[in-house]
Amino acid sequence: MTSISATEHHGPEKGLMRWILTTNHKDIGSMYLIFSLLMFFIGGSMALIIRMELVEPGLQVVQPEFFNQMTTMHGLIMVFGAVMPAFVGLANWMVPMMIGAPDMALPRLNNFSFWILPFAFTMMLSSLFMDGGAPNFGWTFYAPLSTTYAPPSVTFFIFAMHMAGVSSILGAINIIVTVMNMRAPAMTYMKMPLFVWTWLITAFLLIAVMPVLAGTVTMMLTDIHFGTSFFDAGGGGDPVLFQHLFWFFGHPEVYIMILPAFGIISQIVPTFSRKPLFGYPSMVYATSSIALLSFTVWAHHMFTVGLPLVGELFFMYATMLISVPTGVKVFNWVATMFRGSLTFETPMLFAIAFIVLFTIGGFSGLMLAISPADFQYHDTYFVVAHFHYVLVPGAVFSIMAATYYWLPKWTGYMYDEFLGKCHFWCSFIGLNLTFFPMHFVGLAGMPRRIPDYSLQFADFNMISSMGGFLFGFAQILFVIVIVKCVQGGKKAKAVCWEGAKGLEWSVPSPAPYHTFETPPNLPDEKYP
Amino acid sequence: MLAKIVASVFLFVITFLPRLSLADWAVNMTEGVTDVSRSVYSLHMQIFWICVAIAVVVFSVMLWSIIHHRKSAGAKAAQFHENTTIELLWTIIPIFILIAMAVPATATLIDMYDTKESDIDIQVTGYQWKWQYQYLSEDLAFFSNLATPKEQISNLAVKNANYLLEVDEPLVIPIGKKVRFLLTSNDVIHSWWVPAFAVKKDAIPGFINEAWTQVEEVGIYRGQCAELCGKDHGFMPIVVKAVPYEDYLVWVSDKKTIIAEQEAAAARVWTMAELMEQGEKVYQTNCAACHQPNGEGISPAFPALKGSVIATQDQQAHIDIVLNGKAGTAMQAYAAQLNAVDLAAVITYERNAWGNNTGDLIAPQYIQSLLKDK
Amino acid sequence: MRLWQVIKAVLAAFIGVQSEKNRQLDFQAQTPLPYIITGIILVVLFVLCLVLIVNYLVAF
Repeated sequence: MTSISATEHHGPEKGLMRWILTTNHKDIGSMYLIFSLLMFFIGGSMALIIRMELVEPGLQVVQPEFFNQMTTMHGLIMVFGAVMPAFVGLANWMVPMMIGAPDMALPRLNNFSFWILPFAFTMMLSSLFMDGGAPNFGWTFYAPLSTTYAPPSVTFFIFAMHMAGVSSILGAINIIVTVMNMRAPAMTYMKMPLFVWTWLITAFLLIAVMPVLAGTVTMMLTDIHFGTSFFDAGGGGDPVLFQHLFWFFGHPEVYIMILPAFGIISQIVPTFSRKPLFGYPSMVYATSSIALLSFTVWAHHMFTVGLPLVGELFFMYATMLISVPTGVKVFNWVATMFRGSLTFETPMLFAIAFIVLFTIGGFSGLMLAISPADFQYHDTYFVVAHFHYVLVPGAVFSIMAATYYWLPKWTGYMYDEFLGKCHFWCSFIGLNLTFFPMHFVGLAGMPRRIPDYSLQFADFNMISSMGGFLFGFAQILFVIVIVKCVQGGKKAKAVCWEGAKGLEWSVPSPAPYHTFETPPNLPDEKYP
Repeated sequence: MLAKIVASVFLFVITFLPRLSLADWAVNMTEGVTDVSRSVYSLHMQIFWICVAIAVVVFSVMLWSIIHHRKSAGAKAAQFHENTTIELLWTIIPIFILIAMAVPATATLIDMYDTKESDIDIQVTGYQWKWQYQYLSEDLAFFSNLATPKEQISNLAVKNANYLLEVDEPLVIPIGKKVRFLLTSNDVIHSWWVPAFAVKKDAIPGFINEAWTQVEEVGIYRGQCAELCGKDHGFMPIVVKAVPYEDYLVWVSDKKTIIAEQEAAAARVWTMAELMEQGEKVYQTNCAACHQPNGEGISPAFPALKGSVIATQDQQAHIDIVLNGKAGTAMQAYAAQLNAVDLAAVITYERNAWGNNTGDLIAPQYIQSLLKDK
Repeated sequence: MRLWQVIKAVLAAFIGVQSEKNRQLDFQAQTPLPYIITGIILVVLFVLCLVLIVNYLVAF
């Protein structure tokens, strides 16, 4: 490989400055991933505090005001600190290697967009120690609870959101520019791996909606400090306007968190089925149309705010229809597995769990789309169950699957398969114990975001809490597997999975510091 | 090792089973007691069974592949990767299923939105953290507070059967009548939800939302606020008592008499001991959520009253803030919420409890005169 | 007939199904711009269609 010689006389700098000043996509990718793992643990411990309080009826561990801070921070940290940076990290590592580019197109911007994040989240987390406590208005921060009635720390929260937003936009620009300009000459759009495709579309979504979020929090800022009344009926504003703006950002955001996951699963399932992805063109087409249509369904999060009947029907129909292209993806993955030659290494286990559990989350999503029924589901634990099924075995499992899948390529060693499988099974059992009973308590009438509940919900909540702790502590195994793998183990071959296809496997393991300094030719096999 | 972990999880579950078996294992949505709630329930069940059917098909194919097409069983991978006919088929069929689903959903929704020709109109106003009910044609209004004692919440007493789902003054509505709710809020967004009626509607400050119900069975129906509304979001339940129409009429006139008597009590002279006793009750119901039962508050959102300037010095300022609230904070204007006796009692209590011993006695007559001036 | 091909491609995207043969055809285009513009126009049309249907139902 051309890049090996390059490594020898132009390796990474030594010491701390390597990480602060690096413009190398692999270094930055690693930093994103480590950052998101850290955030995953911080957000996770907040979830465990929540579950600890909810073991039994009555207030035991925390007071309601702190409980609200926990639910808020848990959501914000997990969405903006764990899931999104993890996907950006994976994109940083893999997109250049998958398209045969030497690095990202804008390396210094890349460095900058990462280093914004630690500051943004330090600021966000520091609000926990401020007078009045951290933001306590839920991760959806509905006005006026988040404006007139918010704790003083809301200003720090707004600034942190601005910074995280800037970081996301810069990252997205970088990915778009890279994919459009840096592909190896033979890598036409139609040959791009699905992970690259889904990320390209995600990046456009990010650029479209992050400014909406920034605008919304700025309106909050002026409402709080400069006497405007965007969200205050007393001054001619409207609290519901906030929700429209938020969900106009929020619904595409949901796809930002799941489209890269679709890409990852579409890489992993064919590898371990030893069979090309079924319906690749359909997948690409469906992804792009989901991106456009995702802008037309936002108010299905607001069925109970008193939308006019016309609006209610419109958003119900649009939401039901958008579920079809998503369903088609699931059919495609199953058809890829059908008549393959399957093996079940850890990445494949996570991918299969993704397909099954994400589908369950999709079904509850379809149920939520039926507006009259949503009057009963809305703001109950049924919704909590739904989006955790989409985000935990969806987004989070796909990130874990990707980590196991590419870890040998990153470190040059195979991870411990046995520990990996233990991690999978503990997570799988833990998360189902945690989130499945939430469907039941939700349907039985338990509202979300309450620190204490009536007696009929006690048993399922205890099961949820036990599952939550199992899932939480299982993640320590994940760290152990990664650390062990970085330290050493069985040497990984360049193509460490039998069925793996794609340019990233044509470089040695570990991938040299600089890859594809001259554009590669595509491997012979049918692509993708 | 794997087996060990699985086994220990099971052991853990089994250890807890004895207490779990006492359970009320409610796993599904209530059918409710109105036409609307029943059609919502049937929509819910239809879409649920459609999902189950699709899941069975998809997961069976998957399971079949996992069992029969594994490499260790000698499977050789086929290389097919597209089939437009089958792809079209599995796209078109779900679309038709969804259209079939949309028809009854639309009908139900249109029904839910038909708030015309109501028999009784009730304005429901959300406050942090209680509900106010105003019977618009009756000149009758009252607040409905959580009735569960603090000791039960902090695990110092055995919990009631209706723990957190009980209020001091339930909403009373007649059966067989179309009741329209006009929902709004005094501070942040709340959401008024009674599962048995399938009514959930946000109460938004500055705007009025409508919903309606027609209950068929006598009974007590319980719900909760569904929209995060601050600290005590989990502690503002809704209780609706549905009674026959004649009983409803009797209740209305009784209720009016009681309220009139309470207001008349402002005219008589109250002793310090009486006011302190009454004041403590009022304080626990209306003030303790923020300023805490011990008067120490939660800094900085909810200031302390114990030893504070407001509760120990200028009397007029104290009365003013209780009556008129403080703009831009959670402090509400209680002139609109409590009667003169309760206001006088609670101010007296605040000025004399927790070592605030000012000795000030606020006379209900004086508060009454202030309220009249308004 | 290029316009018709673009519209067909976008409609295929909406239901999420496309054959390899047509995809080859689509990706021979020099620029994706016509697809993106058509896509946005068709989304607007889709929204208008739904609005019409809904208004018709409510008027009923």
